[in-house]
Amino acid sequence: MIQNFLAYLHSNVTPGEAGNLIWVTIYVLAVFGGVSFGVIFMNWFERKVMAHMQVRLGPMRVGPLGMLQPVADALKLIIKEDLMPDGADRIVFWFAPVCVVMTAFCSFIVVPFGRTHAITDMNIGVLFMLGVSSLGVLGVIMAGWASNSHYPLLGSLRSGAQMVSYEVAMGMAVVSAVMMTSMGNGVGTLSMIKIVEAQRDQHVWYAFSFFPVGLVALTVFSFAMVAETNRAPFDLPEAESELVAGFMTEYSGFRWSLFFLAEYTSMMAVSSIATTLWLGGWLRPFPNLLNGARWDTAFSLVPALTFLLMAALCFNSAIRMPRLQSMRPNMIGLTAFGSILALVGIIALLPGIRNTVQDIFWFVSKVAGFMYMYVWYRTTFPRYRFDQLMKVGWKVLLPVSIGVVIVTALIGVRHELLALVWR
Amino acid sequence: MSLGQMLRTLLLVDLFKGLWVTFRHQHPKDLVTEQYPQERPEIAERFRGQPRLLKDANGKLLCTACGACALACPEKLIKIGSIRDPETKKKVLTEFDFDLSRCMFCGLCEESCPSDSIALSKDFELALYKREGMKLDRKALEDGVPRKVYDR
Repeated sequence: MIQNFLAYLHSNVTPGEAGNLIWVTIYVLAVFGGVSFGVIFMNWFERKVMAHMQVRLGPMRVGPLGMLQPVADALKLIIKEDLMPDGADRIVFWFAPVCVVMTAFCSFIVVPFGRTHAITDMNIGVLFMLGVSSLGVLGVIMAGWASNSHYPLLGSLRSGAQMVSYEVAMGMAVVSAVMMTSMGNGVGTLSMIKIVEAQRDQHVWYAFSFFPVGLVALTVFSFAMVAETNRAPFDLPEAESELVAGFMTEYSGFRWSLFFLAEYTSMMAVSSIATTLWLGGWLRPFPNLLNGARWDTAFSLVPALTFLLMAALCFNSAIRMPRLQSMRPNMIGLTAFGSILALVGIIALLPGIRNTVQDIFWFVSKVAGFMYMYVWYRTTFPRYRFDQLMKVGWKVLLPVSIGVVIVTALIGVRHELLALVWR
Repeated sequence: MSLGQMLRTLLLVDLFKGLWVTFRHQHPKDLVTEQYPQERPEIAERFRGQPRLLKDANGKLLCTACGACALACPEKLIKIGSIRDPETKKKVLTEFDFDLSRCMFCGLCEESCPSDSIALSKDFELALYKREGMKLDRKALEDGVPRKVYDR
């Protein structure tokens, strides 16, 4: 068993491909923990960034710079009374948040954080992710139906219509990226890992291949994914001014926090699809312009330097805190946090670890970029009306994405023909 | 729709403009939040806050106990007590009661005062838990409200 455990360390594949159950378990736990931590971080980050965009401070009181606010909120939600409305369908009401969370986390099975840093490689990875993540709408409809109340029902109906109509445009955009994978050797693939490897072999991220085409596909996908996850400006299912909280109205306490967890998890999941398909997944930026061994080394130092920079920022703001008795715990906490970051940065400097870790770093930072965009959209754009939403989905995004698929196909065929002629 | 407008719609120019506006305002210098007990607000010059009895450079009360403020007050909330000093034949202030719970901070007392001795100051932290402290006596008017120091 121990031999089995150690043998994997020398292999070059994901634990799922190697069939190593122990490592699969470790990876599942690591991904689950990492994503949950990401959700907690996003809670703080979203409130902070939103506050700054609205010229406010945001959470400041719990912990240094309000960093412990999500922890306090989670604690409050857990000890809150768990209500179930009278006349609710008890079993469906219980199962709806479980369904939403399960589907959201399931899609992370195939997300490649690096060549070996995925739970498994599936030959239909993208299809699996889209399929599983669109099962989430089932949970939303269940929640609306089981609540035995008007607002949740209306919210879930809106959500159902919205998710189904944006799924189409999203799928078309994905198809165009999948078609691009066949450009190199004539064999296309749906596997998340193979798609990134195809981008590496073709020396181009698909956002920039056939210049405007890939970018248009990415744009269509990034609209559709905001609508898919019910985020502003497409947050009609939970439109506060109209439907209280949409399908979540009757949920409270821990069940509500499960919906919250699922929302942010699925945001990360669709962001990682976008990253994998168009932004080169775990590949480092500027592979063509800045190539060569020296640049490779330079880029492999970036993760460690980022952590050290964050640590320096922590120390800086700890020093600049007002010298008050009441600020002392915050100062100590911030210094400790900075020290942990510095430690991680120093560990990431070691040559052996450096090369393994940088995949994860590039992937996560690209996903983080998308998460920032989510927050950014939310503060900037007002909510769409429902007919406008449907118009954008069916009359704009769908034709554009079909056009992208056709253009990609035409360019691809031309490319193949040219290759034949040259041969 | 003209060509320029069409291009604007196609390239989502207005959306990007909006995004730029929100992005720009993230800069810390734009913050308008004031962390109140730690940061004091800037009070306007003509703000009408807690009433005070002023003193001259020698620390003597300016008030001549003429009673103009008590007459001017629309709420009749100022009570002035005085005795005549037998030597100088001048009125001397003995008590000055100001019922803050009825005051509407109109500033008529301040305006009517011939010796500029009563003034509405810039102190604004007047909230209390009970009605009792609302009646300011002469000492409170001379010293002003003590400022609470928040250290947590």
